[in-house]
Amino acid sequence: MVRYVPLVLALLAAIFLVAPMAIIVPMSFSKAISFEFPPPGYWTGYYAQYFSSHSWLEATANSFIIASGSMALTLIAALPAAFGFVRHRFYGKSVLNLVMLVPIIVPAVVSALGYYSFLSPLRLVGTHAGMILAHSVLSIPVAFLVITAALKGFDRNLERAAMSAGAGPLRTFLWVTMPVLRPGILIGALFAFLHSFNEAVVAIFIAGRDASTLPKKMFESIRLESDPVIAVVSTLLTGAVLLGVLLSLFVRKRPASR
Amino acid sequence: MPAFRGAGLISRDSLTAWLLVAPAVVCVVVLFIVPIGYVLLLSVTDPTVSLDHYRRFFTVPLYANVMVNTFRTSLIVTLACLALGYPLAYVMARRDDALAVILLAAVGLSFWTGFVVRTYAWLIILGNKGPVAATYAFAGWGSPPQLLFTSFSSTLGMTHVLLPYMVLALYGVMRKIDPSYMRAAESLGARPFGAFRLVFLPLSLAGVVNGCVLVFTMCLGFYVTPILLGTPKDMMISQLISQQIEDLLAWGFASAIAVVLLACTLVLLGIYNRFAGLDRLWG
Repeated sequence: MVRYVPLVLALLAAIFLVAPMAIIVPMSFSKAISFEFPPPGYWTGYYAQYFSSHSWLEATANSFIIASGSMALTLIAALPAAFGFVRHRFYGKSVLNLVMLVPIIVPAVVSALGYYSFLSPLRLVGTHAGMILAHSVLSIPVAFLVITAALKGFDRNLERAAMSAGAGPLRTFLWVTMPVLRPGILIGALFAFLHSFNEAVVAIFIAGRDASTLPKKMFESIRLESDPVIAVVSTLLTGAVLLGVLLSLFVRKRPASR
Repeated sequence: MPAFRGAGLISRDSLTAWLLVAPAVVCVVVLFIVPIGYVLLLSVTDPTVSLDHYRRFFTVPLYANVMVNTFRTSLIVTLACLALGYPLAYVMARRDDALAVILLAAVGLSFWTGFVVRTYAWLIILGNKGPVAATYAFAGWGSPPQLLFTSFSSTLGMTHVLLPYMVLALYGVMRKIDPSYMRAAESLGARPFGAFRLVFLPLSLAGVVNGCVLVFTMCLGFYVTPILLGTPKDMMISQLISQQIEDLLAWGFASAIAVVLLACTLVLLGIYNRFAGLDRLWG
């Protein structure tokens, strides 16, 4: 019996994690105007409302634009940096390595306050550009850590083999180094995209009306008016994540080590 | 950082290295560290140049209560996450079957779903028309206690939101514990619990430290959940900052509070960095 104690505790913890999120699904089909569970009746009216609401669709589009933009910018900065830190020795390396981690150390409220006072004189508050800059800096450390880890596990002999077989440095990089590192880079990119897509605090402070993202709009709707469309958006987002998680489980087998 | 490998293949020239790291470092310094500097500056210059905000924060009892409440809540959330997360990570790390995959998927699902969505779920569950209230009515227990907008709901919500971070920190370390150590202990006569206590538990402590530091520091400055689920009566630091800005437009004082929050976080992570090295924190 004692053998099963960890298993039971683990299952309870997993239920605690997932069950609250499951309640969102019936709520999205509920006819109730406010948070009422169990729902008094079911319909798909709030889905129709979401797909015809200008402000919700605009927030959705903003979320995608900002997340894609900051993913691209994050990779442009983090990828070369990972190579620099893993493959070279240079003056000030350990200090700069700490500097690279600063954005994930600082609490989001503090960063948000800083961004607001820094970006408003530049007229970047309430713009896509401002949001993309802010989010990419927040994602750089995570992408950097993921890509650095992939690069540390990279077998340099593969490059040596390519070079001794006559490939130039560029060819070696494009045909040997990059393909091997691709999973690490993809995971880094995914982290950057989803971090921006889910990020609420900085968005609440600096997105304004014009660059409002889904998390910001949801946060404000919950506080002000309890718009039932929130349940629809939550269901769609959770569904998308669930799909992604299931896909990742089917596509690749469990990685050998982390 | 591991020892430098592969000397000679790629130039050891510092210049190349600096060119490679420059975009990221410049981004972080100009677009992050400078803005944080603005917060520091604002805290001592808005509206006038003085240290009044700090004096006020450290002398008014209300703010001391906020600090105490923030640290107490963070500690409760961290311990709750550890209690819930340890068995979960243990089972995930020790099994290699479909169940381990399902549990990993459950953790992944909650890890990748945004804080706002998951906090929203608790608004429904604990609300006065939610399932808890419905259960009370159904069982004939009368009206349920006020659950929402209390420090209980805020603590519960944060535990739920931060649990995946704890589990992944623990899992990252536990996964690397060689199962043969446990078998060796058992074949030498240790009972299952003895093998766990004497072999697995000590080896997993690095994960416990990582998870606790991660969850505690995240909790200290946590914004979304305390604001949506908590009460102004038992404020956390982030609620106080939000209140100062939204209700009072007191940017200077809000910045000073933010600096105090940052200082607390940096001290904790500084201690961690001294003993473990900061880049291990995220596995």
